[in-house]
Amino acid sequence: MSECQHQWEMTNIRFGFVVFEKCSHCNGIRTFFSASGHPMVGDEYVEGEHTWRCMENAQSLQFDLQCKQCGQLEKFDDVMGFLYCTECLDDCKVAILQKKYAEKKTWVIVAFGFLPRRKDTELSPRRLKILEDYFNQRRDTSRSTIAVLSFDLIDDFSRCKGEFIHDVGMLSLEPPKERKPLF
Amino acid sequence: MTVKELIENMGLKPLSQFDDREITGVFVSDMLSDVMAGAQSGNLWVTVQTHKSIVPAANLVDVSAIIISSGKEVPRETIELATKHNIAILWSELPTFELVGKLYSLGLATG
Repeated sequence: MSECQHQWEMTNIRFGFVVFEKCSHCNGIRTFFSASGHPMVGDEYVEGEHTWRCMENAQSLQFDLQCKQCGQLEKFDDVMGFLYCTECLDDCKVAILQKKYAEKKTWVIVAFGFLPRRKDTELSPRRLKILEDYFNQRRDTSRSTIAVLSFDLIDDFSRCKGEFIHDVGMLSLEPPKERKPLF
Repeated sequence: MTVKELIENMGLKPLSQFDDREITGVFVSDMLSDVMAGAQSGNLWVTVQTHKSIVPAANLVDVSAIIISSGKEVPRETIELATKHNIAILWSELPTFELVGKLYSLGLATG
């Protein structure tokens, strides 16, 4: 096992779009990252039993983390983005933890994998800890700290009113009056 | 220079409540993804975005203050969230170009 006290920095930054698609038959949602310089547009298309339609293009980024000391590289291309908990649901595990952590000036950020959720899209505790270390190593932790939680703690996305740290509505010629929820 | 010294120097209007801290540099962008990738801890973040999602982005990268330029109106919910997170939101009528010029003339730069 490595003895290195890793000091993480962001590397391999790719800007692009997180694309949200919805199936008009089953109402399922899937997301993916497009590194294209242009948003995804187009009509509905059929794929197997699904008929997918693009709901949103959110400008975002993908990145990896690399240790400045030993060079260890951790890829995070399975991270869709980060969500800030607005404590919208009293019974949500994330909201409960956020309230608990807030007493210690620790702010909760939820790391999302791509949808739909599957066993192979889960973010392991080890990798969540690396993300958390990265965000805390670059900040003044005497003021506050960050806790990174997994999106697996959110039972029902359709009820979640958390704030995604995504650029939504940047492609519109009109400034949006209100950011619509992504789910 | 600290955030409160900057407010005095430039006549910025503080909108949220916050503890003073040192400024390490300036980052200008209207995109949250840009800020996440490029802003450094302690940077001032200059933007015309006013939606409350700027607060979690600012908090995540630990900026010293958000400066809203061009006189954009800031929703109350954004200000309340910033106060909750101890993040300074400062407001200026100046267009971004002029504002950044003044910051530069005070000795602040990218970094």
